[in-house]
Formats: sequence, structure tokens, C-alpha cells
Amino acid sequence: MLASILMSGLAVGAIYALIGVTYNTMFMTSRVMSFTAGQLGMVGGVLGSLFALRLGLPVPLALLATLLCVALIGVVTEFVAVRPVLKSLDQHLYVLSTLALATMIQHTVAVTWSTEPRPFPAVFGFAIAGIDEKFWLPVVTCLVVIIGLEMLYRRTLAGHAFRAIAEDNFAARALGLPERNLRIASYALAGGIGALAGFSGGLLLLAFVANGPLLNFYGFVPVALGGLGNNRGAIVGGFALGLFQQAMNFLVGGIFSSVAVFGLFILVLLLAPQGLFGAPVARRV
Amino acid sequence: MKLNRREFTIGAAATAATLATPAIAQTEPLRIGWLAAMTGPSSAPAIGFNRGVLFATEAINAAGGVKGRKIEIITRDTQGDPTKAVNATQEMISSVKVHAIWGPTNSGESLAVTPIMARSKMPNLHPCVVDTLIDPAKFPNAFRISPSNTQWDDAVRGYALNILKVTKVAVIGDTTGYGVAAAKASSEGLKKDGAEVVYLANVDATQPDMTPDLLRARNAGAQAIVVWSTSTGMDARLFNTRATMGWDVSFVGHPSMSSGDIAKLLEKPDNWKKVYAVGYRSCSYDDAGKLPARSEELAGKLKGKVDLSDTLLWWVAAGVDAITLFSKAIGETGSTESAEIIKYLNGIKAYPGYFGEYTWTAVNHNGYPTADVVMSDASSAKDGAFRLAPGYKG
Repeated sequence: MLASILMSGLAVGAIYALIGVTYNTMFMTSRVMSFTAGQLGMVGGVLGSLFALRLGLPVPLALLATLLCVALIGVVTEFVAVRPVLKSLDQHLYVLSTLALATMIQHTVAVTWSTEPRPFPAVFGFAIAGIDEKFWLPVVTCLVVIIGLEMLYRRTLAGHAFRAIAEDNFAARALGLPERNLRIASYALAGGIGALAGFSGGLLLLAFVANGPLLNFYGFVPVALGGLGNNRGAIVGGFALGLFQQAMNFLVGGIFSSVAVFGLFILVLLLAPQGLFGAPVARRV
Repeated sequence: MKLNRREFTIGAAATAATLATPAIAQTEPLRIGWLAAMTGPSSAPAIGFNRGVLFATEAINAAGGVKGRKIEIITRDTQGDPTKAVNATQEMISSVKVHAIWGPTNSGESLAVTPIMARSKMPNLHPCVVDTLIDPAKFPNAFRISPSNTQWDDAVRGYALNILKVTKVAVIGDTTGYGVAAAKASSEGLKKDGAEVVYLANVDATQPDMTPDLLRARNAGAQAIVVWSTSTGMDARLFNTRATMGWDVSFVGHPSMSSGDIAKLLEKPDNWKKVYAVGYRSCSYDDAGKLPARSEELAGKLKGKVDLSDTLLWWVAAGVDAITLFSKAIGETGSTESAEIIKYLNGIKAYPGYFGEYTWTAVNHNGYPTADVVMSDASSAKDGAFRLAPGYKG
């Protein structure tokens, strides 16, 4: 039982962590919580299945095509649901606009793809130390994304620019950083990360339109637990969520495990509203 | 007696009114409304029924129609949405003025439109399973052509206890309203019949790993698992997990377990063995690979005209039966009045349809015989029909 909790908990936790990072990547450059993050993950799985199984592309090509398509959806999110509401951030109109776009994405996939789960191909087709690919691939993907993002933010000019925008938008603009282009790029990057979450988790979650709301909810929890904009917190929160959820599945059963997860979530927020790894933000009054 | 002009006019109008509406006007087509969820979720059944509807309509019209009148099917795609179903029903009743309605095809829509049709006394045949949809007192116009969920449950329970001869059962439903209600009712029925429900759970259909629930069921001593879920993804995960666990237990339950979609979701084809889903004797192959005589007759008529490879035979057969029944009701009563059609349907006894042998009375509008609801070998689909699950006699 413990082995099963660890295997599936870490796998599903890795997917939640990647969705949390997707939320954060979009938040960094826009200060907007975009509720399309879960749908990006869902579309990653659906397109992966479409390209690799239905169209018969080799898996690397299918992955590339999926990344490009979902990155494009990320860019569309910025244009359609985020840019128009940036001037009214304090009114939280982005909640409405991003949720509306998320709903449109979901219904489009439901109508054009199917409302039934579809199979997802094995990417590598081998187990590691007896652990099936559907359990190890999401974890390895998450680690690769973490390393990739660290290198991007610390070793590249674009990464420094992203961090500058995230830390102080006005100062960054004053220094001449192309805020709008960086925001578009970060939404494309978020699309790519969401696509990786869906693609690597395809064997576990299947190519299924219902994954959209599921990933939206459960991907948001690591962000709230880890602190908004804090990728390390999102990663730790994601894995912790996955393990806790699986433990609750074993201990109390499926329907009550959701109650346990959200109960703990509410408790943590009551005790630490800024998240476990976030810092309270001071503002002038 | 002298008539004044006023009295003459009134009398002439009254006479004209009685003459102007014969029981069946000679040229007006017979309009049958068809509430079909042809797109959207759960469209597979409607697509199957539709093939039967079109086949029967073409056959009846080619033979001259009903007393010379052609059948016209008024189809509205409700997309599985109760709101669209309501709008379509209102349109059919008020604007198009259909003579009868077949459908809708899912219980959510049916729950919304059944009271509307009842208010208009619209004769209605439907294949939806929720028990409360049929109530001859509240909805005297509504007749069910397929089994109710209770009849499904009876077949599942009967197979588990009397043929598999298990005494300890796990019941797993999904977290939809249907799954919760069905699992609860199933559990109560099993206990009433003396079985021990060792594990009862409702599981989110998107839960990626079914190991916790199957481990708990196995640890509790379950000898069979009854499944009430419409989700093929959940079904496939259960079968794959059973195989990974190396657990030799049978699954018995909802017809979705025999859906063709499951084949692509399985890690190995053998994971579909020992899975028994609700089926119908009329659409089951015997040991010799033959369907019952009437079904063979239908299959012969459909060959080359209707594709059965990607649908279920019972859907097509039920669609044929529904149109045929309405045609007979109108043809034999000579009337398109709803009261006459309803009266005719109430008098049907052992009508030999292709899907089933229907009996309706004024107090029982569930027309399908319980004895003909059987369990099928879920992985044995061929041209829309299945092998009977092992253990049935005759």
C-alpha cells in the first residue's frame, strides 16, 4: 500500500506541480491568475493523443506539435482574456475573462474531440525499477522543467527580464524592457509547461476533456499553498498534495478524499493566508 | 319550424366542424417527433436509435405508409442538454404539432420534458432508465420501451448471487447523481437478498489510480464487484488495475462496461475477461453463435443498409420498434388523437418487437420483460450483439 501511495501520489503530484508552475508563469508577468492553466494541461494530453495516435506522428514530433499548439493557446489567452482586463486588475475581471476562455476551450474540445476518455500512447515504453512509465514520466518531466526554468531565469537574459517584470513591473518598463512582448512570451512558455504536464501525464490521466476542470482545481491548490508566484512552493505543494490525496484515497475512499484535501487546504490558508512559502506583501494605505 | 339566419349559420358551422376533421386526413403526413442527442456527450445511443428510426420509416413509407399516409420524422438534436430538449419539445408540441414523440435518449433530458409532454397529453415512447420517469398516474402518456434501472439492477444482482453464486460483493459507483443513486439502490437490493456488501464506494470517474479502491475491496473479502458508472475511462482503469493486482474477480454491472471505447484503453485485451455487462436476450448470441429468430430476421433486413459494426443492435432494434409501434397505433385506431394512441399502447400485450416483447397496461408503463434482461460477456461484441455471459440456460 505504501509503495502504491508513493508511486501514484508523486506522479499525480508532479502533474499538479507543473500546472501550479503554469499558473505562476502566467502570473509573473501579468499579476493575473489565469484560470486557463488546467485547460492547457488537458489540451496537452488531447493533442498528444491526436498527433501521436490518430495522426500517427512519431512521438517526438507529436510532442513538438503539441508544445507549439498549446503555446499558441497561451498566447491567445494573453491577447483575449488578459490584456483587455489589465487596467482593471483591482476589480478582478480576469477571473471572469479567463474562466470564460477556459470554458470555451473545454467545450470546443468536448465537441471536436469527444467527451469520452481516449487512449494515450506510451512515450518510452519501459519501466524503471519496476515502476511503470505512467508513474515515473510525470516526475521526471517535472524535474526537467524545474531545472530548465532555473537555468532560464538565472542564466539567460530573457529569464532575467521575466524576473524583473515579476519583481517590479513599473521599474522594468522604465528601464526599457518590452513588457508586452515579455508577457506574450511568458504566456507561450506557460502553454508549453501546461502541455508538458498533460503530455507526460497522458498515460495516467488519459486524453480526457474532464481533466480540464480537475487540473484547474488541483493545480491551483499548490499555488495557494506555495504562495502566488513562488515556483518552489508550487512544486513542493504539488507533490505534497498528490501524496496526501493518494493517502486519503486509501484511508477514507475516493469521495471523501476530496473533502479531506480541500479541508486541509482551507486549514492551511486560515493559518497562513500567504501560503506556506509566501511572504506577506506590505502595501501602502 | 322557421329558421332565422342566425340559427342557420350556427347550425351550418357546427355541421361543417364535424365534417371538416376526419379521423385521418387523407394527405397529411404522420409527424413523429424524435428528440435525439445526436451530438455532444452520450450521442452514441441516439446515433444507433436513429439508424433504426430511419430504417423503419423508409420501410413503412416504401410499403405505402400508414393507410396511405407517409411518416415524417421531425428530428431535433438536443445535444444531451435538458434545456435544448425542453425547447425542442415545446416546438414539436406547439409549432410542428407532431402526433407522437420518440425520445429523448437520456434520463436528464427526459426528466425535464416528461412533465411538459404530460401536460399536452403527447404520446411518448422513450428508452431512458431512471425509475421515476414512468408513473402512469402522473404521466399517463409516457411509456418506456426499454428496462428501468431497477430491472438492470435485478439482472445484475440475479447474476451475481444466483449464477456466480457469490455472497460477498463490493459495489462501486461513480460520483454522478446516477452513480450515487444506482450504487445505493444496488447495495440495498443485495442486502435484501442476503448478500453481504463488504465495500461500497463512490469514486470520481477521473481518479487516475483505482488501486486504493480495489485494494480495499479485496481486503474486505469481495468475491465480485458490481459497477455502476457510465464512464468508460473509469471502467478501463478498474479492469487494468485488477490485472496489475493479479486479482481474479468478476465485474458485473452497467452496460458501459461493454462499450467499444474500452478496448483502446486497456493495457491488454485479456483485462476485459470476466466482465459481465447488462445486455438483452434478444441481442445475445447463443452458444452456436446465433441470435434469437426475430433478431436474426432484423439483422438480415439491416445487412447492407445499416452499419452495425460501430453501434449496438438493441439501439437500432428499439428505434425500429418505436416507429413501428406508433405506426400501428395510428393505423389500427384510425386516429392521430393522442387519447386513442395512448389507449392503444395501454392495450399492448406481448407485442413481438425486435428489441423485446412489450406489454403495457393502464397501470404499468414499463413495457420490457425483466426476464429478458441478461448479462453479456462484455468483450464479445460482434455486429452490435454480444455472447450471453456464462451460466445462463437456454
